[in-house]
Amino acid sequence: MAEDALWARDVQKRYERRGTQPVDALRGVSLSIRPGERVGLLGRNGAGKTTFLRIASTLLWPTSGEVRVFGHDIVNHPEEGRPLIAVVPQDGKPFMHLTPYEQVYTYLRTRGFDRATSKQRTTEVLGQMGLTEVADRLNLALSGGLRQRVMVATVIATEAPLLFLDEPTIGMDPFARREVWECLRRLSKKGSTLLLTTHYLDEAEQLSDRLYIIDRGRVLVEGSPEGLKAQIGGTIRVSLKGGMRLKETLATFGTVATDGLDVHVILGPDRVEEVLQLALREKLSATVGPVSLEEAFLRVVGRSIDDES
Amino acid sequence: MAFSFVDRYTWGYTVTQLRVQLHDFNVVIAPILIQGVLLIFVYILNPALITYALIGALVYSMFQMGQRVQNEAAYIRVDSKLPELYLPGPLTPEGYFVGMSLGILGSNVGTFAVLAGILEWTHPLSALAWLVLAAVLFAVFLFTVSLGYFVSTLFEDDRAIQPYATIITNLFGVLPPVFYPLSLLPTYWGPLALVLPTSAAAALVEAAEGGLVSISSGGIALAAISLTLEALALFLFTLAWARRSARER
Repeated sequence: MAEDALWARDVQKRYERRGTQPVDALRGVSLSIRPGERVGLLGRNGAGKTTFLRIASTLLWPTSGEVRVFGHDIVNHPEEGRPLIAVVPQDGKPFMHLTPYEQVYTYLRTRGFDRATSKQRTTEVLGQMGLTEVADRLNLALSGGLRQRVMVATVIATEAPLLFLDEPTIGMDPFARREVWECLRRLSKKGSTLLLTTHYLDEAEQLSDRLYIIDRGRVLVEGSPEGLKAQIGGTIRVSLKGGMRLKETLATFGTVATDGLDVHVILGPDRVEEVLQLALREKLSATVGPVSLEEAFLRVVGRSIDDES
Repeated sequence: MAFSFVDRYTWGYTVTQLRVQLHDFNVVIAPILIQGVLLIFVYILNPALITYALIGALVYSMFQMGQRVQNEAAYIRVDSKLPELYLPGPLTPEGYFVGMSLGILGSNVGTFAVLAGILEWTHPLSALAWLVLAAVLFAVFLFTVSLGYFVSTLFEDDRAIQPYATIITNLFGVLPPVFYPLSLLPTYWGPLALVLPTSAAAALVEAAEGGLVSISSGGIALAAISLTLEALALFLFTLAWARRSARER
């Protein structure tokens, strides 16, 4: 049986700084990812996603627990796993005084690729990421979104067996995000394994074969996007803006999730009309749509992904 | 081998850094201008000191490589998070440090060529003195880039680091007898000057070029041993530190 691309057991991380209370960022995260899988790590800010990613990519010591990359124990022997991974760091920027072409090309050379392969892959990936036109401008002169694309292109070009992407499309416009998604799907078809964190639930749904939802340093649930949506007891979502005061009444129609003052009701198609009538009577604006991953997230975590509290 | 710091990945990163540095024209021209200004300053004060000042300018230029490494390493770590891109990969943490240092040195070859050219034009050195100059510059390079990289890892704010770079450079490069001969220093400070890497380096070159400075054989031995030990010890320590600091605790 093939080794898992990433296998983690009971990973804990406690940040201890002098003069402050210790913070338990991870309280026993276990997960496994098979080779070629695309897995999303979802959670609110501070849930522990980036901490886990940094531990798995050998940038941070765990307080305890085991992490293996293709069977290599990267907690005790990080040098064995490092050649197999590549990372898009959160808030990372390319070298300002390189062009996108130079950034990707020299990065590939640093990873040991020969000149011809580096040139070919650089040209290819810049084209796929829509960066050909700006390939010879200094990164200094590019917008934040374009710089982020350069970072993603740099890492994608490696075709490393295991890629960690921490908020890879942050700051990108919707078109750019879709180009990145397409590149990541293509990469996955070639055999690379992807673990990504994202705040965009549509992105997680589009890109992930499986999802782990984590909160307060623990894995709350794991499953496919469809599986997670199926768990919440309905196929249609009616969202009522400012519907908090009707929460109890709405709960009689289906499953209720709150998002600030707004209420989402998950229910079957037969009761949608009744909820809309209620919204009309109460003069509340309502929208109807299919159940999305957002509802599943709200249901599991109890709060919106953007909720900072 | 405990440290694999010069392999093809290191060279790849050296070229990356070289390209980064060479894209900024100021980076290439500023060190030459700085040394030019200092040389003019010394020449106005006392034209007889110009040979010492030229040797000092070569040593000081090399010492400034540490300042450049310190600022670059801090900037790309704190602001751009680039170690998080480069270290999870085949490039070792030691290779990252050495590659950065070599790339920055490579971008300053012009400064050394210009200064060496002026020195040869104004006061042709003996073969022995050139050989000693090359050796001490190498030792100063090891010392200064190690110090710079180590200091860069101690701060979380890259702006807070820059004053330290300036202080270190002036403390080692301007205060001791680097731009002026050892004989101008009060006698009781002599031994201290011979154990500081920059003034030891300058004194060794001046001693090798007979007649520039008069140092006892004991003084030469003290300078040579100090410089060698300090450079090697700090370099080895920083290689180990690079590995240790590659993963946060």
